[in-house]
Amino acid sequence: MSFKIEDMRKKAVPKIGALIKKGALTADQVKDWLRTMWEIRYFEDRVYDLLGQNIIKGASHLYAGQEAVAVGSIAAIEIGDVIGSTHRGHGHCGAIGNKYAQDEKARQDHWNRMMAELMGKQTGYCNGRGGSMHIADVKNGCLGSTGIVGGNIPTAVGAALAEKHKKTGKVVLSFFGDGSTNTGSFHESMNMASVMKVPMIAIVENNLYGMSVPFYGRSIESAGCAANIENIAERAAAYGIPAKIVDGMDVISVYLAVKEAVEFAREKCQMSMVETKCYRWYGHSRSDAREYRSKEEEKMWKERDPITVLSRKLKEEELATDEELEAIRVQALKTIDTATDFATNSPWPDPKDLAKDVYVEESYPAEVVAKDKEYSSKAMKATETFEKLMKTLEGKTKKEISEKARAAIKADFGMDVIAIKDALIAAQAEEMRRDPNVIIEGEDVGIYGGAYSATKGLLAEFGKDRVIDTAISEAAITGCAVGAAIRGIRPIAEIMYVDFITISMDQLMHNGAFNRYMFGGHAKVPMVLRTEGGVGRCIAAHHSKSLEPWLVNVPGLYVVMPSTPYDAKGLLKAAIRSDNPVVYIEHKATYGQMGALPLDEYIIPLGFADIKRPGKDVTIVSYSRQIMFCLAAAKELADKHGIDCEVIDLRTLKPMDAKTVAESVRKTGRLMTVCESFCMAGMGPEIVRRVIEYPFENGRTGFDYLDAAPVNLAAADVPPPMSEPLENASIPTPDKIVAAVQKLVRK
Amino acid sequence: MAKDIRMPKLGQTMEEGTVVTCLVKIGDAVKKGDILFEVETDKATMEVDSPAEGFVKAIIAEVGQTLPVHAPILVLGDKDEVVPQSFIDSLLGGAAAAASTAPVAAPTPAPVQPATQPVAASAPTVSGSAVSLAGVKVLRLQKLGQTMEEGTVVNVLIKTGDSIKKGDVIFEIETDKATMEMDSPNDGVVRAILVESGQTLPVHSPMVILTDKADTPLPQSAIDAIRSSGAVAEAPKATATTPVPVPATPAPAPQVKAAESVPLTTGKVFATPRAKMVAQDLGIDIRRVPLAPGAARLTEADIRKAGQQPTTATVPPQPTLSLGQKVTINRLQRIVGEKMLQSKREIPCFYLNIRADMTELVKLREKLNKNASVKISFNDFIIKAVAMGLRHYPIMTGQLAGDHIQLADSIDIGLAISTPQGLVAPIVRDAFNKSLVEIATYCQGLIDRARSEKLTLDDLSGGCITVSNLGGFGIDSFIPIVVPGQCSILGIGRISDTCVPMDGNILIRKLMNLNLSVDHKVANGADAAQFLDFVKKTLEHAGNFA
Ligand SMILES: Cc1ncc(C[n+]2csc(CCOP(=O)(O)OP(=O)(O)O)c2C)c(N)n1
Ligand SMILES: [Mg+2]
Repeated sequence: MSFKIEDMRKKAVPKIGALIKKGALTADQVKDWLRTMWEIRYFEDRVYDLLGQNIIKGASHLYAGQEAVAVGSIAAIEIGDVIGSTHRGHGHCGAIGNKYAQDEKARQDHWNRMMAELMGKQTGYCNGRGGSMHIADVKNGCLGSTGIVGGNIPTAVGAALAEKHKKTGKVVLSFFGDGSTNTGSFHESMNMASVMKVPMIAIVENNLYGMSVPFYGRSIESAGCAANIENIAERAAAYGIPAKIVDGMDVISVYLAVKEAVEFAREKCQMSMVETKCYRWYGHSRSDAREYRSKEEEKMWKERDPITVLSRKLKEEELATDEELEAIRVQALKTIDTATDFATNSPWPDPKDLAKDVYVEESYPAEVVAKDKEYSSKAMKATETFEKLMKTLEGKTKKEISEKARAAIKADFGMDVIAIKDALIAAQAEEMRRDPNVIIEGEDVGIYGGAYSATKGLLAEFGKDRVIDTAISEAAITGCAVGAAIRGIRPIAEIMYVDFITISMDQLMHNGAFNRYMFGGHAKVPMVLRTEGGVGRCIAAHHSKSLEPWLVNVPGLYVVMPSTPYDAKGLLKAAIRSDNPVVYIEHKATYGQMGALPLDEYIIPLGFADIKRPGKDVTIVSYSRQIMFCLAAAKELADKHGIDCEVIDLRTLKPMDAKTVAESVRKTGRLMTVCESFCMAGMGPEIVRRVIEYPFENGRTGFDYLDAAPVNLAAADVPPPMSEPLENASIPTPDKIVAAVQKLVRK
Repeated sequence: MAKDIRMPKLGQTMEEGTVVTCLVKIGDAVKKGDILFEVETDKATMEVDSPAEGFVKAIIAEVGQTLPVHAPILVLGDKDEVVPQSFIDSLLGGAAAAASTAPVAAPTPAPVQPATQPVAASAPTVSGSAVSLAGVKVLRLQKLGQTMEEGTVVNVLIKTGDSIKKGDVIFEIETDKATMEMDSPNDGVVRAILVESGQTLPVHSPMVILTDKADTPLPQSAIDAIRSSGAVAEAPKATATTPVPVPATPAPAPQVKAAESVPLTTGKVFATPRAKMVAQDLGIDIRRVPLAPGAARLTEADIRKAGQQPTTATVPPQPTLSLGQKVTINRLQRIVGEKMLQSKREIPCFYLNIRADMTELVKLREKLNKNASVKISFNDFIIKAVAMGLRHYPIMTGQLAGDHIQLADSIDIGLAISTPQGLVAPIVRDAFNKSLVEIATYCQGLIDRARSEKLTLDDLSGGCITVSNLGGFGIDSFIPIVVPGQCSILGIGRISDTCVPMDGNILIRKLMNLNLSVDHKVANGADAAQFLDFVKKTLEHAGNFA
């Protein structure tokens, strides 16, 4: 087997003096570690008190007892290296803040901001948006900290991938607890990082418990148990990852082990694991009565308090006097006292800034918006002409006719006619050529070219480092994109079916969509998650859903769904360039759909609907493949029934262009929505809500302009069935749209 | 503070008083001691003076009305005080209770309360409210059996002036089952018998008016009103006696701009938000907009349609004239004025009215116009029909010429056209010999020329009749003034859907009013009537034009 587990506890720990002599450390450095440990300890003690006084509210998972792990690990990295933290993250944040503090003032400022964040004050690291569980200074080498156990590990893999891609030589330390090693995120991430060969070090803080459940064994008879192996390092071995086990109560041991691992990562560009055996002093959170562990056990661990251990060493090796050690303690206490005063006296965030920093604000030059309008209607006409030519031109083969028709469109409109699939490939290729930081990762995106061929040919042009085939690990694929995006590259993650987004959701929402806001607007996540959905191939309920309503329900995400090759290309290019996380959903039945698009470069601004067909009687709002059904229905309604429908393609579902829709309803008085997703709390009702609430300049709202109750056509509330007639019955189709519009107009 | 003045007890034995004169009017300032009313009691006529100072806000007691002591008769208030209707209503409610007279009627007919069905009568008291005539009771035909719906009076056993007692037999009534006796549910003096032997009437129809006393005032108008009130929907519970409600002065016409011919929908009106918004913008009362058949709610289209119909309350077009302005009279208007004055001075007119059923013609016109290049208007049909009528009754073309009546050489018909400059009535020459299409073409030319002020003197001289149509303005019927030099003028109203009894059924037909004003110097009623009837029949038989 290609792994080794090194139990460092079995070896003698080098004396500090010896390390100093070797030039590996300085006495001041070690004394500063002690000071940081004291600061963390006092910080946590203070937080415990303030929680009791209800001055700090919310959850607080205290780090006291584990200080040696954060301090030793972070001492082992350099400025510019990255850490990823957890729900028990005050120690990580405290230690890395000290590392970045250039002087005493900066150090005090750091603790001030930490305490202010815990109190939810405007001056906190995240402006009071994150609090205890999301405390992080993302500007200074921190990926952030998550409240979802195990959820921080995939982003660390992505961050490491970004450092590797950018060739910065930086490494990523990913902290996580023993409990999180039982989550899928952990396993997917370990495997992915191992396979991708990224410079990452997993720091497992094995404090023996995940909340109340012992990882292995028990000191109280009735306690449960989470795993059947004692050392998490063995799990690393299973993924081909070298691992060490160290005494997490001794900062020197931790430092030395992590230092080695960091050097390994930097040199080999590979990951390894350091499992630290440690213990938390307080309960899981303040309300925890700690009934699951014995007093003897607690006593035994407390005798090995990391502060005591280090203080004793310094004294025994005569590197510090009692007075000196006492001065360090007093200084740390003073820092925390000052921080407490600072935070107490800090202002609250202003509720008027509530919605600030959910998104990176983006705008488009007016020419881009105007150009899109022009191109879009031209493309519609050209596509229509192409379709007519396909029926009227003659030729031996379909391909020949198609080539003739394409040539005619090129001559008459200056446009090409291609399939949606090719538009997607073109968009990605163009953006990858334009920006070397654009990469693609996902299942089968390489040689196979994607399950629906939307990345076909890209591997050949851009190579394995930019078109990355991954294991079947949706959470890790998504989280990896998030982490890489936070660290400054522009990943496109492909999730083969939108149905699988159920597995990605934690990463996409909690990290992708929320990170910017949770970390006070200091992070951005410029990633694209490409996927496809819808019925049309008889592949039943696990492969046919339309889940966009799930996604628009997430603040911080953009959701884009194209209906034509023109839109597909322009929107995808804009999505890749966007600094916000964009979910881009194609429709499985449309990859071969042909349509016209400009020969020259263009993007389509996100957040702008497109009127695919102007009309005056009814406003039909739709998107994705259903647009084609709506257009077919509109044609029939006009030709046979004299009803003139306006068909609006939302294109971007979030942010929604309510203005275009509301203005249309103002004209027609009638609104119908057509979606392939489920109706309840879905897109249709949402569109209706936006229209009803839309405020016009004259003081009226969209409600006032409705001349009939709006109608929502949507997927039947059934798991999409496999059988074709059932599948068809489950979604809106042109005949149903025609009938519904007639009824709406008759009313 | 509003203060109510009540009927004073002017003598030891006084129980009620009849108002003889009212000496104040609303708005008057009165001082304590000023005389308000003269009141007649069983003993004498006496003055009611004001017990307080103030301004008259409402006069509740009406001349001729007999009111019990303590009944409210007048309301005083401060100078600019507005006394709410509710205050007056509460006084009336209290009065009814105090004097135990008939209940105060609801302000509008309330179908759930048939006993208070108001009848038109004099005695206006309080605006917006209705009070009953004190001491008057109406006996109605009782339901003498479960299935009885109507009864025939076989015998009247009382006469006016009789004093009757509760339980006295007053009529013999025959129903589909048997002949039965109807007895009086009340004591009183018979003041009017509203039925006679042999008459069949529905249950609850009024039959007799009783009063408490022989001299209780009972104006003829009240009797008429009761007579015409008909059967009330439901019998009052314990007795067939109905207190007579008398409506107060009709409430001032609601400030809705246009005709109110469409009845108000009561209760919640279901309309789309857009319909409500458009109605608001156009100033249309949605309660007056009819719902399309089978529709669940009003839509914008209903409102706009209603907005185009003059019968619906719409915002009138912005006036181009302002009050107080001096409007110069143009030449045309001066001529019109002079001619009309001359007509009124010199032409002794009589007026005839007839209604033509245009249903067939409407259909024919639709058919003819469907693919026609020249569209035929109703006026064209009317001109043609009039031409045919004049041919039949040439006297209608005549003019008094000294000692004789001169008939016209050709049938020339004027058409009244409203132009921006004023009214003109150019002539369609020799209309009888023109085909319908020729008339239509010619008229269109006339209209165009009239509107562009290109009519010649020739266009305007002569003629034996003028056709004037105000149907386009929503007018049902009007009486036009004969143009001097012509024998008559025909005023046409709008074509409206009307329920018409026909062959034992009620059909909805499209009827149109024709009013003919005729110079009596030339033609007599019989001539003119036959002529008008001929025109009507010509219009009614579309075949005449086919
Ligand atoms: C996905 C998820 N499940 C459960 C929780 C609740 N929870 C928060 S921390 C925690 C224990 C985590 O144990 P471990 O990973 O060992 O970290 P420790 O708290 O010991 O530092 C639990 C169960 C959560 N936040 N997220
Ligand atoms: Mg743990």
